[in-house]
Amino acid sequence: MRHPLLFSIGVFAAALACSPILFSQSSQPKGTKEEPAAAAASPSQKKGLSHDLSGVWMQYDDGTAPGFARMNGVDDRTRPPLTPWGQEKFDAAKPLMGPRAVGGQEDSAALHCDPSGPPQLLILPNPCEIVQIPGRTFMFFEEYHIWRTVWTDGRPLPKDADPSWLGTSVGHWEGDTFVVETVGFNDKVWADLSGNPRSEQMHLTERYRRLNHDTLEQQIIIDDPKSYTKTWVSPPKLHKLEPKWEIAEWFCASSELQTYDKDVRKPSGGASTEPGK
Amino acid sequence: MESVEEEVKEAKEKFIRVSLRDGHFFGSLTHSFPQLFFLPGRSSGLWRVCSLALLLVIFAFSPKLFAQANPQSGKPLEGAKVQEVATPLSHDLSGVWMQYRDGDVPGTPGMNGVNEHYRPPLTSWGQAQFDSAHALQGNKAIAGKEDNSALRCEPSGPPQVLILPNPWEIVQVPGRVLMFFEEQHIWREIWTDGRALPKDSDPSWLGYSVGHWEGDTFVVETVGFNDKEWVDLYGNPRTPTTHLTERYRRLNHDTLEQQIIIEDPRVYTKPWVSPPKLHKLEPGWELAEWFCVLDENKDYDQAVRKPAGVAPASGK
Repeated sequence: MRHPLLFSIGVFAAALACSPILFSQSSQPKGTKEEPAAAAASPSQKKGLSHDLSGVWMQYDDGTAPGFARMNGVDDRTRPPLTPWGQEKFDAAKPLMGPRAVGGQEDSAALHCDPSGPPQLLILPNPCEIVQIPGRTFMFFEEYHIWRTVWTDGRPLPKDADPSWLGTSVGHWEGDTFVVETVGFNDKVWADLSGNPRSEQMHLTERYRRLNHDTLEQQIIIDDPKSYTKTWVSPPKLHKLEPKWEIAEWFCASSELQTYDKDVRKPSGGASTEPGK
Repeated sequence: MESVEEEVKEAKEKFIRVSLRDGHFFGSLTHSFPQLFFLPGRSSGLWRVCSLALLLVIFAFSPKLFAQANPQSGKPLEGAKVQEVATPLSHDLSGVWMQYRDGDVPGTPGMNGVNEHYRPPLTSWGQAQFDSAHALQGNKAIAGKEDNSALRCEPSGPPQVLILPNPWEIVQVPGRVLMFFEEQHIWREIWTDGRALPKDSDPSWLGYSVGHWEGDTFVVETVGFNDKEWVDLYGNPRTPTTHLTERYRRLNHDTLEQQIIIEDPRVYTKPWVSPPKLHKLEPGWELAEWFCVLDENKDYDQAVRKPAGVAPASGK
């Protein structure tokens, strides 16, 4: 389903505009001590490369989270203590996988084909495409065929947004880092797959930095005083550019879900952690 | 394909005739529509050349000025020149669009993009499928027996998603045209990088779409559908052999014409050519988040959709 022609134009344009080859050449000073590429490049070159996030990205399979191979963009091990409300929600959650999973008792929203949303959506090991147009950055997730808009037209975060699955997102650049802030979430989906809650008070920050042409760094920061006693800062997670991939159609359809659960997800408790395809 | 073209032409003419007779088709267009064809009336040749050049510049850079120009009297330009000046405007389809509620299909305001009045006879297989479908609304609906896939929050795809009376947005990026639908938060991509339609694609909800321009008309062709939903809300089947054509033409800055043509020899004895349907640009709108959620669906059905047999209030 992924066709080699996908980003021919986009990537070609990016190559012309940002020219990583030129960029890397210009970062090799003659006969002097080598400086970091970014420092050697002119601001415009730097901006050209780093401010283009477009392409299909796939997270690296670093497998550092036991039982959650590849899904540690929101990392359980750096989670601050829960508030009493957060603890209650967490205890009540019966995740689909991981050490806390109990076969037959799973209640993940995904089992009802409910929509997913950030940050859970961001950590699922599936391709994500970024498309930038003036005033907006789109993110397309193969998972559930979800798209999300990050407004970059300078608007502020809404003060009083209706709770929603995706929230309302605005983004801005801080140097070479694209900072996405999102508020206005509902509490119907967890922040991760282990049952860590997200509440309507959650303020989500995502920081994206293109380390080089092929690598995107993503860091997820959760501020949710209703659920967590401190800010939950997960370590950065790397994503790889996949120039030849195209986002396939994958919907969660209730009529197909039972088969899917049986064939692919496997019964919980097994922590087989291959929720992918 | 020749027969399709004839059908398109015939349907179009019939539709325009009927619409003009009924006086609602161009109702909202009468202020801007003539501007595509008329220029301010000055008979001097030099003036005409100058004004044409000026207008070309204006047209190229300012669709708004174009739309605001409101000549009192005018003289038709030759076709070629009209084409020339209209091109920069018409190849830009971007924006949030909302279909006009012309209410041509009784009981279903604004959902006649796929128009049952124009449906060709069904094949016997198609008829059997159609008869077994329990529609959510319309004449065939029986309360309590509806089985529209939307009731299970299954995804919607073309052409059904195209005819639902909800806002949708077009975004054009190099090599692709993206369509976003508020309905079920669906997005689809139409490849415009010259690739061919796949010969053998897996059946899917959205199918696989490629698009190209024919003059000022953007033609989208889609194949590779599954048969899990209907082409409309009445149970007319869609199958893996369905070949869908959509034709889009921007009549003026604020108006997009959409025509839906369904070919499926397994189901329909002839191509099903619906008359063009108009959509209005809504520059101040942004698509809201609307997911179909199973848990919430019952409430929604009760509150908004209403039991079958009753014409629904059509969403929002």
